[in-house]
Amino acid sequence: MENIETMENQVPVSEEPQYSSIRYAWGAVLAFFGISSRTHRASKKRAKFVADIFTYIILLFGAFLMVYPFWWMIAGSLADTEMTGGKKLLESLIWWPQQSTFKSDFAGKGGIFFNYLYFFQNGMKPINGTLTFWRVLLNNLVYSIVPVVIGVITSASAAFSFAKINWIGRNAVFYFLLAAIMVPGPSLMTAQFAMYDALGWRENGLVLIIPGMFGSIMTAFFIRQFLFGLPTSIIEAARIDGAGYFRIFCQFILPLAMPAIMAQGLLSFMGCWNNYMGSFIMIDGNSNAVNLPHAIAAMDGYGAGGIMDNHYGAVIAASVVCVLPVLILFACFQKLIIGSLMLTGSKE
Amino acid sequence: MEDTVTAAEAREGRAVAEDAVFDQAAEAAPQKKQKKPINQAKLQDNLWGWIFCIPLIVGTVWFVYICLVLAFMLSFTDYSAFSTMADGTQASIFKYVGEWAKHIMVNPSTGKTAPFYWYTWAFNNTIMSKTMTGTRLKEIWLYLFNTVFYMIGIPIGMILSMFFAVCMSRDIKGGNVFRVLYYIPCVASSVSIVFTFKTMFSQTGVMNSLLGLRGYGNGGGFQWVNLSGATDLTWNKIISDTGGKVTSRAAFMNESFWCQGILTKTVIIVMSVWKGLGGTIILYIAGLSGVNAATKEAAQIDGANGWTIFWKVTMPDLYPVIFYNIVTSVIGGMQIYAEPTLFIGESYITSGYVSLIYNYGIGSGVNSKPSQGAAYGMILAVIIFVLTMFQFWLDSRNKD
Repeated sequence: MENIETMENQVPVSEEPQYSSIRYAWGAVLAFFGISSRTHRASKKRAKFVADIFTYIILLFGAFLMVYPFWWMIAGSLADTEMTGGKKLLESLIWWPQQSTFKSDFAGKGGIFFNYLYFFQNGMKPINGTLTFWRVLLNNLVYSIVPVVIGVITSASAAFSFAKINWIGRNAVFYFLLAAIMVPGPSLMTAQFAMYDALGWRENGLVLIIPGMFGSIMTAFFIRQFLFGLPTSIIEAARIDGAGYFRIFCQFILPLAMPAIMAQGLLSFMGCWNNYMGSFIMIDGNSNAVNLPHAIAAMDGYGAGGIMDNHYGAVIAASVVCVLPVLILFACFQKLIIGSLMLTGSKE
Repeated sequence: MEDTVTAAEAREGRAVAEDAVFDQAAEAAPQKKQKKPINQAKLQDNLWGWIFCIPLIVGTVWFVYICLVLAFMLSFTDYSAFSTMADGTQASIFKYVGEWAKHIMVNPSTGKTAPFYWYTWAFNNTIMSKTMTGTRLKEIWLYLFNTVFYMIGIPIGMILSMFFAVCMSRDIKGGNVFRVLYYIPCVASSVSIVFTFKTMFSQTGVMNSLLGLRGYGNGGGFQWVNLSGATDLTWNKIISDTGGKVTSRAAFMNESFWCQGILTKTVIIVMSVWKGLGGTIILYIAGLSGVNAATKEAAQIDGANGWTIFWKVTMPDLYPVIFYNIVTSVIGGMQIYAEPTLFIGESYITSGYVSLIYNYGIGSGVNSKPSQGAAYGMILAVIIFVLTMFQFWLDSRNKD
C-alpha cells in the first residue's frame, strides 16, 4: 500500500520538470481549444464549445452543398439563353447568370420570367404540337392526387385490419402481401406494359391512376406500425357500445391515425408528382397523357440533348416548375414528414 | 347488539354465498347460452377483417403476382406487339397467354422448340464495341458491370450519412433545421436534378471553375460527362493531344471496358449519393436516438474515448438499421435506370441493367418484344433474390 502511494505521489513530481517551455505553451494553446494534453487539462465546457463550432462548420458546409444546386436552378432559370450557343453561356453560371433576363429585351415577353413563359408556350412541342402546359399540369395533379388520396385510405383500412382486428389467416395474408415487396418492379415492367395496353389504359393515363388506388403495401405497413401504438380498448369500448367496424374505422381510426396517414400521403404525393419512370415507360411519348417530368425530359431529348440547346434556360425553368410545388409542400409539412420518417426509422 | 351484528354478518355471508352461486352459474351457464353471440362477434371480425383488406389484396395480386406469372409465362414465348393468334387476329396478352402452350418459343435457326431461347440469347448476345474496332462484347455483362459500378455509391453514402447523423445528433441548437435542409434533395424530382447536375458538370461549369479545370486541354475545359471523347483529354478516352495518336497508357484505358466513361459514372454516383443522403441520415438519427445512453455513460466512466464508444457501443446498437439500409440500397441499386439514361442518353457504357429490359421489351417500337424483356426481367429478379438471400445469410452467420 505504502509503495503504491509513494509511487503515485512521485510520478507527477518527477515528470513535471521534463516538459520544455515550448511544450508547455503548446499545451496551453491546445487547452484553449478544448484539447487536453499532459501539461494542461482542458475544461469540459471549452471542449464542448470547440467541438460544437466544428460541428456547425461541417453541417453548414454540408447544408450549403445540399441547397446550392437549387439556388443554381433558380439562377439558371433567369439566364438569357436566347442565342446560338445559349447552353454554353448558361453552363458558366456560378452565382448569377452573366446575361440574365433582367433586360429590356424581354419587356412584354414575360420580363424576368421569360424562360418560364417560353416553357409554358413551347415546352411541350417535343411531345406533340397541340399539347399545352396546362394539360400536362392537370395530368400531373390528377396522377398525384387521385391515386394518393384513395390509395392512402385503402392502405389505412388494410392497416387497421392487420393491426386491430383478429381474423383467420391474417398473418398468412400479411406475409403474402409483404413478400410482394421483394418482387422487383422492372421484372414486371413488360408484362404490365402488355397488360395495360390490352386494357387500353395507356392512351388515357389510367395506368398512372388505377394501380395506385388499391393502396401500397409499404404505406399500409407503416400505418399499421402507427396503429399498434393506439390503445385497443377504444375499439373494444366502441364495439360494446354497438358501433360497427366500418363506423369505428371512419370515426376513430381515421382521425386518430391522421398524422401517420397525412405523412404517408404527402410522401406518396411527392413520389407520384416526380414519377418520371411510370410515365416514361407506360405512356406513349407523343400522347396527351404524359406527366410533367416526362415532358421536361422530352425537352432535352431524354438525355440525348440537342433539342432546346438555344433555349436551355427554359429547360432549367421547367425544372424549377417541377421542383417548386414539392419544395413548398415539404416546407409546410416538414415536421410531420420528418417525424414520420424518424418513427419508421426507429421501428426498423 | 350481538344479534344484529350476527344478523348482518349472516346477511353478508348469505349474500357472499349467493354471489358465489351466481358467479358459478354465470360461469357455467353462459358457456352454453352465450356461445352464439361470441361466434357472431368472431364472424364480424372475420368478415370486416377481410373487407378492409380486400382492396390491397386485389391490388397486390393483380399488379404484382398476376403480372409476375404473366411475365414468367411470356418469357418462354415470342410475344410482341404484333403477335397474331392461331385464328389470325391481333393478340392481346390475355388471349395470348390463354393459349400459351401453342406459342412456346421456337428457335429460328434450328426450328426446334426452345422455351429458354430468350434466356440463352440474353447471355450470348454480343454487341460491337464503339471504341474498339472489330471487338464484340457480351452485352449483358457490360450492363451488369455498370449496375454494380453504381453501387460504389452505397458505402460512400452510408459513411457520409453516418458522419452527418452523428454530427446532427450531438446536443446542439438547430439540429432539426439541418435535418430538414439535408432532406430537401430527396423530395426533388430526379429529372430536374439530373439536368442541373449535367450543366454544373459541363466543360465550363461550376465544378470545373472550382477545380480550376476550365482551361483544360485545348481550352475547352475538362469533360466530365462525355462518352465520345474524340476531342478532349478525358479518362473516358485518353488520346494524346498531338494528332490523336494513342499513347501506351491511353491504349490500355481505351481498350479496357472498365475505364470507359468512368468520369461520367463518377458524376452519376456523386449525384445519387447527394440525392439519397438525407433519407439515410434521418434513418441513422432515428437509430442513434435509440442507442442505450446508460451503456454509453458507463463506457465513458470506464475511460473509453469517443472513438471506442462509437465502435463498441453505438455501432452494435445501430446494426439493424445499417443492415436494413444495405439490403434496401442493394435492391434499389440493381434497379437503377432513369439517372444514367437522363444524364447521357442510352449507352452500353453507362446504362444500368434495367435498360436492357426497357430496350428489348418496350422501347424499340415495332421490334420490341415484351417476351424478351420479360426474360431479362426474370434474370434480374433471380439476381436480386440471390443477392438478398446472400445478405441475409451473411447476417445470420454474423449473429452466431
